[in-house]
Amino acid sequence: MNEKKKAAVTQSQKMMVFVLSMSLYGLATLFTELIPKFQVGVVEFSVEYFLFIPLTLSMLFDPISAALGAATGELVFSEIMLGQFGGLGELEKFLTVTIGVYLAGRMVKNPKNIKMVGLASITGVAVQQLMGCAVDILKVQLAVTDFESVAGLPESVFVTEGFACANDILFSGILFCMLPTMYLVPRLYGKIEPLLGMKPRNEFSVIGEAGVLSPKVVILSILGFGCAIGAELLAETGMSLIDWEADWAETPAAMAAGFALAALVALIAFGIIRRNAQLRMAEE
Amino acid sequence: MSALSENILDKLSIDNIKTQVLKNAYGNDDTVIAGMDPRFLLAWYCFFGIVPWFLDNVALLLLLFVFVAVTTKLAKVAPLVLLLFCVGVFSQTGYLLLVALFFGGDASTVLPLLVMSLKVAVVSLASITVFSGLDPDKLASGLLWYGCPDQLSFSISFAYRILPILMEEFQNILLSYRMRGVAPEHKTFFGKIRYLGYQIKIIIQAFYPLMLNTAKRSRTTVEALELKGYRYAVQDKRVKRMKLQMLKAGKADYLFAGISVVWVLVSVCVSRIYF
Repeated sequence: MNEKKKAAVTQSQKMMVFVLSMSLYGLATLFTELIPKFQVGVVEFSVEYFLFIPLTLSMLFDPISAALGAATGELVFSEIMLGQFGGLGELEKFLTVTIGVYLAGRMVKNPKNIKMVGLASITGVAVQQLMGCAVDILKVQLAVTDFESVAGLPESVFVTEGFACANDILFSGILFCMLPTMYLVPRLYGKIEPLLGMKPRNEFSVIGEAGVLSPKVVILSILGFGCAIGAELLAETGMSLIDWEADWAETPAAMAAGFALAALVALIAFGIIRRNAQLRMAEE
Repeated sequence: MSALSENILDKLSIDNIKTQVLKNAYGNDDTVIAGMDPRFLLAWYCFFGIVPWFLDNVALLLLLFVFVAVTTKLAKVAPLVLLLFCVGVFSQTGYLLLVALFFGGDASTVLPLLVMSLKVAVVSLASITVFSGLDPDKLASGLLWYGCPDQLSFSISFAYRILPILMEEFQNILLSYRMRGVAPEHKTFFGKIRYLGYQIKIIIQAFYPLMLNTAKRSRTTVEALELKGYRYAVQDKRVKRMKLQMLKAGKADYLFAGISVVWVLVSVCVSRIYF
């Protein structure tokens, strides 16, 4: 019996959820990318607040497919299609969105339990926002060498970042993530699943291993968060290196050296990737 | 506030966005950039997307900027994308300039900011040239050749195909909601707030039918893929090689690579001699 239920989500159904989540969240982020951000008092309207779409899907279907689909959709529709691809910096967004949505989806056992849906959606948003906030603070801390010695800087960074984060979670998170999710999940439950050819999810359906927060999930989330920090910092060092050592960077020789080094790195990366591709081709 | 939002919505009506995005995706198959080998362009992007961050010489950055501006022109990028690029650059550095001037900065603050905005401009124009100038299918196969996950390259091809349909559907749903509902009076201040709230509510509600329809569509898509044996095909090396056979480096590609290298070398020499 147990065996049968585990097999309930097939590969092609996972693919369907991925495609569904990718196209919907991609469309939403495309709009938010095109419509400038604007603020009403303390409430800011921006990309994050269409997060209710992947949150809803991750509660109704397989959480990891929905989460990966949403992150890919954002990358493809709003970054690559509009030519705004920012390189390594995009990895941070990709990972935080995936982790936030996945955790929210794992928390909900029974989509009919509206309190749990609300709690899970706000948790998902909070996790995503807190990780983004932590990355921002770390960025400033590591970029400024004598972080503690600049008077007032640590406090001001913590206060502004903390306030922005709390504002995002409490105002926009509740208004544009929690309420829409609580509106959509019960309405879609039982209606959307047959369209993908599966049974509605309930307390008994198995969505991965045992508990909500199995050690594997926690470790993977933390690892992902670490990667996000690393990517964002790497993306930032290009700028901050030059900012610190302005005198050093002025001399033509140093500049040429840096230039050659950068070109070398690009070439090596290119070579490695190319060789891998060729090896893989030759493997058959 | 709502007057502002109405104004923005007028300029960026869904129809307008749709045309621009479609034009960007499909409208430039005949440009020089679109005809090139995606592998060369991706390697080119690796250089122009990374190197400018490490440069600090205004003349060199200016010369590189001229070069990527020419390639962007060659790619015939849609105006909307260029507008977004300009807004991006100016909102990033213009704001910093204002703050710096406010805190007693003078003409000397302009130079570092110029360097900064040139760096941002070179990198983003290079990415616009590659990601927006290339045909999506070519871009996808180029990424696949470099060993990117199949899911990503599938997503890119799929996104370009599904986007027009999704946009039209979303627009239809929004219009039908608007026809059936009564928008609140928006002359007074509170009326305006209520009107804005009403608009947001409609957008959120519109996702309910959209989700159901997209679910049907994604099932059809995946079933069609399964029928063609997609999941086995992506794991098979032979299929991959067959798929990537269309990638052929031609004369134009070597010419483009050569011009890029010469231009960069000349720029480095010029900037080292004269500045």
